[in-house]
Amino acid sequence: MRLPLTKLSKNAAATVRCSINPSISHVRRSYAIQAGGAPIAEVFNQGTKWLHKERAAADVSTSRQVDYLRDEVAFRLCERLLDINRSFPNALDFGANACNIARALTRPDPDIDSMKPVKDPIGHRIGQLTCTDTSETLLYRDADLPFNNDIQITRQVLQNPEYLPYAPETFDLVLSSQSLHWINDLPSVLTQINTCLKPDAPFIAAMSGGDTLFELRGSLQLAEQERLGGIGTHTSPLADVRDVGNLLSRAGFKLLTVDVDDIIVDYPHIFALMADLQAMGEGNAALRRDATGIRRDVLLATESIYREMYGVEQEDGTVVIPATFRTIYMIGWKEGGNTPQPLQRGTGEANLTDVLGGGGRIG
Amino acid sequence: MPARTRPIEKFAEATAKCTLEGAAYGKCIASNYQNVSKDMCAKEFMMLKDCYLRASGKIR
Repeated sequence: MRLPLTKLSKNAAATVRCSINPSISHVRRSYAIQAGGAPIAEVFNQGTKWLHKERAAADVSTSRQVDYLRDEVAFRLCERLLDINRSFPNALDFGANACNIARALTRPDPDIDSMKPVKDPIGHRIGQLTCTDTSETLLYRDADLPFNNDIQITRQVLQNPEYLPYAPETFDLVLSSQSLHWINDLPSVLTQINTCLKPDAPFIAAMSGGDTLFELRGSLQLAEQERLGGIGTHTSPLADVRDVGNLLSRAGFKLLTVDVDDIIVDYPHIFALMADLQAMGEGNAALRRDATGIRRDVLLATESIYREMYGVEQEDGTVVIPATFRTIYMIGWKEGGNTPQPLQRGTGEANLTDVLGGGGRIG
Repeated sequence: MPARTRPIEKFAEATAKCTLEGAAYGKCIASNYQNVSKDMCAKEFMMLKDCYLRASGKIR
């Protein structure tokens, strides 16, 4: 039966009135998220990524061996916290992998070279750290190591890597290291992070991007082009430095800082590099990848091309192949509270030409 | 029990014995890497592959 519109709306209003009950007003709700602009294309297969991480973490000793990159990035990320003179009662580590950030936070003597040496681990300034990841095996891999006693950690397995199940204004700090590069819908995730931060709280993250593994990408393309006459996607697409600033400001972050940092790791051959990537759980998870993998002929060709074009000869005559991991570090602040604001246009009192001494004159 | 040797490790081991042929193929590609076409270095590749097959014990 179809009801006339007026009657329907009256009914609806009545239902709403009935269901209002002061005792259930604390139901946890979060804002509906809408990313501006065109719908986001699905790039990565999240099921595949989850499987990669689960499988990788199941082999505990190998998985720990290849933590060198994540640990190094987590250390560099946490050093950025030294510049913020605050304590953070409630912090979130989004996409924690094996809680590498927690390990970095509990490291003693985080900054011995500085003018003002800090002796305490940075973790002392963090009250409660919530570590989240989709892969339970990876998240709990190091749950019984000693560093867990030095910081209050809650581990939480996420069902959906692109949804943060937290109430608005929950956290004093959100960290993320080496996992944002697997997110399909970055604008939405960044908006959600912005929402669950308290006003005037920072978001500090590191993600792989830009020219990461450009040597491998290039060699594979050359090899496939010469062997097969066409190229496929064997390395995942990554965000560029230029995009990150845009994305952050689109999500509503203020006072942005974005910088890049290259970590170059030498491997004996490309098979070691590929095996390590697999053990990290960082294999290609692009949705439209070739499910059969790379052919042996192509692998053989890739190894020779990589070695010839990028190989570096060591003192003892052996040739190692360098792999570049480019990490994009970003800091954004949620607006509100005492966040410094830019002044109104035309309120400046000093002339820039005086400050720059004429040398900075444009035109 | 010793751990199972992964196929990729055997592959790496055999490839490591063919550095000379590998370098010849790599040079061939690198000399014209901005304009690579199919089978441009087929001759060099077949030499590399022959060496790999011999090294891995697949042919004698």
